[in-house]
Amino acid sequence: MNYLIRRCLISLGLIYVVTTLLFLALHIVPGDPAELLLSGGGVAPAPETVAELRDRLGLNDPLWKQYIDHLVRLAHGDLGTSFQDDHPVVEEVVRRLPRTLELILAAAVLALAIGLPLGALAAVRRGRATDRILSGFASFNLSVPVFVTGTILVLVFAQKLRWVPAGGYTPLATDPLQHLVFLLMPAFAISVGLAAVVFRMARAAVLDTLERDWVRTARAKGLSPRRVVVRHVVRNALTPVVTVLGLHMGSLLGGTVLVEYVFNWPGVSSLLVRAVEQRDYPEVLGVVLVVSFLFILLNLVVDLLYALLDPRVRHA
Amino acid sequence: MTSAFDLAFLRRIGWPLAAVCLILLVAVLAPLLAPHDPIRMDVVNRLGTPNWLHPLGQDEYGRDILSRLVYGARVSLSVALLSATIAACIGIVAGLIGGYFGGVSELLTLRVVDIVLCFPPMLLALLVVTMLGPGMETLTLVLSILFIPGFARVTYGEVLSTKNQEYVEATRALGAGSARILFGAILPNIVGPILVQFSLTVASAIVLESGLSFLGLGVVPPAPSWGLMIRGARGYMEQAPMGLLWPCLALVLTIWSINQLCDSFRDAVDPRSGGSTRGFWTNLRAVLGMSSRAAPSGAVAPEVVLAVEGLKTRIVTPTGVVRAVDDVSFQVRRGETVAVVGESGSGKSMTGLSIMGLLPQPAGRVIGGSVRLATKDGRIVELTDLDEPALRKIRGEQVAMIFQEPMTSLNPVHKVGTQIVEAIQAHRAMDNAAAQARAKALLEHVGIPDPARCLGEFPHQLSGGMRQRAMIAMALSCEPKLLIADEPTTALDVTIQAQILELLRALQREHPGSMSVMFVTHNLGVVAEMADRVLVMYAGQIVEEADVATIFARPRHPYTRGLLDSVPKPSHAADTDASARRRLATIPGTVPNLALDRVGCAFAPRCAMALDACRQGDPPLVDVGGGRRSRCLRWSEL
Ligand code: SF4
Repeated sequence: MNYLIRRCLISLGLIYVVTTLLFLALHIVPGDPAELLLSGGGVAPAPETVAELRDRLGLNDPLWKQYIDHLVRLAHGDLGTSFQDDHPVVEEVVRRLPRTLELILAAAVLALAIGLPLGALAAVRRGRATDRILSGFASFNLSVPVFVTGTILVLVFAQKLRWVPAGGYTPLATDPLQHLVFLLMPAFAISVGLAAVVFRMARAAVLDTLERDWVRTARAKGLSPRRVVVRHVVRNALTPVVTVLGLHMGSLLGGTVLVEYVFNWPGVSSLLVRAVEQRDYPEVLGVVLVVSFLFILLNLVVDLLYALLDPRVRHA
Repeated sequence: MTSAFDLAFLRRIGWPLAAVCLILLVAVLAPLLAPHDPIRMDVVNRLGTPNWLHPLGQDEYGRDILSRLVYGARVSLSVALLSATIAACIGIVAGLIGGYFGGVSELLTLRVVDIVLCFPPMLLALLVVTMLGPGMETLTLVLSILFIPGFARVTYGEVLSTKNQEYVEATRALGAGSARILFGAILPNIVGPILVQFSLTVASAIVLESGLSFLGLGVVPPAPSWGLMIRGARGYMEQAPMGLLWPCLALVLTIWSINQLCDSFRDAVDPRSGGSTRGFWTNLRAVLGMSSRAAPSGAVAPEVVLAVEGLKTRIVTPTGVVRAVDDVSFQVRRGETVAVVGESGSGKSMTGLSIMGLLPQPAGRVIGGSVRLATKDGRIVELTDLDEPALRKIRGEQVAMIFQEPMTSLNPVHKVGTQIVEAIQAHRAMDNAAAQARAKALLEHVGIPDPARCLGEFPHQLSGGMRQRAMIAMALSCEPKLLIADEPTTALDVTIQAQILELLRALQREHPGSMSVMFVTHNLGVVAEMADRVLVMYAGQIVEEADVATIFARPRHPYTRGLLDSVPKPSHAADTDASARRRLATIPGTVPNLALDRVGCAFAPRCAMALDACRQGDPPLVDVGGGRRSRCLRWSEL
């Protein structure tokens, strides 16, 4: 219980730090924030517009007052408005966030489905050809940046073989099948590297579990090797693997940036890239804020889940 | 560092190191190697195919692809190395200060640095790019910031673990200042992990740099960068797929080489991580070649359940082959309890595991001897000849086993009931309901007060004694002919221990002659209570065998006598354990290393009666009359 509260408090603190830093981000850059905000298109803004914006944003107020206003606005879910289309940033972020999460989730499921059985197989065949080939392949996959995987997938499966479209998106409600077809390639691109991570963890966890006493007990009972491995090894190795995969979900939030770009997936990350290109400050700050919150929350959930699964952590 | 270490180290990191050096060389010598100016356009020949002038062809602006690849290495590596170096300098200092001084400075260095970790790395990078605009300087700055926490954490961790070690204390005692200690004594000793972190960082930096450039937010065109090249070639991948593949290949191979180098560094820094597997496999091959099996002599007498003859088991380790069980022969008769006694490492547990075919894999091998079992249906089965599926039918059904530590011997994630049901269903075609009912009856039989509840509980919800009872219930589920109990009471406290022993005796009395027990223990008190016959093991061999009364009355081997002398006599029972132990005669010396060759009696180095003759040849296990055997040349003098 104590652990739970402490862990939640830490996360709250982190969220506060992120909020403050993003507020400061606009003010520590050399130059006038209003001018920066307006110089999106690359043209120097007219002085009147700058003055007007300074006024509207309250940039003439003392810093502490601006800071309080900033926090109050955030508390009301106001992330400011985009320069491009004058839409509230929060709307666009909320619309796109589920798509990014869907992509990550699909990639994680794929990675688990590929990495776990292969990791267990490699562990059971430790040191033999199967293990060496699989381990070598995994370490190679870990060295392929995700945008390279994505681009090559497009080249092979969309351009050469023409099995799937090169990228795009259809809402689930419009056409569920088409939706999945679009989801497949970006999810797979992410899962290639992720599966290698899962593979390594699964292999290590299974190797560790294989040496446990209860595995010997299970064999002493006369169970088949298959049953021993599935019920008494993989089942136990699952907990650490899923936990660490959860930890990686956080870092995936950043990793989707490239994949969404390659496959034209309209998630938050591609919104971010567009905003950075346009130097659309409110949108950049809004997306970074939301995704960082999510990142912190995800890490919190993983930690708590871990505590739930492993009673020793909870009581420590 | 010895030269032998250097050689082995170099061999291990050989090719990744060579590859990384090659890439570095290409980057440094780019102006000499590149056939053309990497940014000179030749629009007429855009997407030109490979020819003598342009070995890899030309890109979408007619620029020479090979030259751009070569210069791309320069850009990628310089950004990566520079930012990794900056991050390392700042991170290491932060970690050193935070770890060494602790308290406020820890807060000011590490926690501040950790703020970077609140953001997903790519996002933070994009944020900074928005603020400062793309370009090499921004890239280097961003990457440096991102990698500081990694270095700080590694250094911090290492400092915490080294700061109280002797050489640091020694430096402090000499009156060195903090800076001297930090940079002079601590830093050199944490170079290894930092080196690993550095190579990791360089690889990640290249990944991020190319990713950002690919987005058009890193290196600014027309400067050559692999990420930018992929970005450019993407638009023309249908016409000129090779233009896309070359930079991909360069990028992947570079990252891969650095990652491999990093893995090798890690192996070298951490000796536990698989560094010595080579020795293991060589030794294993040697052991596999040793296998020789002589046919057992004569038939098995009708009252014998288990006949072990000349059993030899080897455990392979990276440094040698352990003779865990060395020519062991004995028999277990119907309904009899045979105790196998010895110190840990004497081979007593390995004997039990060899019989069951449960030796640790792939390290454990039975290389000789015979293990014959009389099964329930009256056949004699040679266990060492059976393959895994046939052995599986024996385990649990004919021979069951219980272990020392019931907490770890039961699977923590499955209910007790499920684990017993599983044991039943492995050998009996019973549906779940019937098996559950049988499991409940078994639990009741072994004296568990609320068997229905126990079925649905997880192992950690039971007390140690109850867990061992559940283990026993599981072992008895198929009414085995032989129960191998491997130190079943060692982990329990004295009262519980007595209860479990009483339970085992009661179970055996119930149907006299139905179940034999091989009781593996180091505790002579338990032996006196449980056993009919005693086998004393030392260094993988049986050194004495006798029935329980005679062995306690008159041991015929110095080792047995030593063991008996180290048992608290009943008169000491009132003493506290610790003081009693102090007064006991312990056997001087330690168990020999079974991986080394030995001539003569294994016990000779610790034996007060040893003669020169004892060190000449292996003393045989001789019949000393009355069904007793001893492996001592001077048994008659005892
Ligand atoms: S053979 Fe010799 S050394 Fe070995 S136990 Fe007997 S007396 Fe001692």
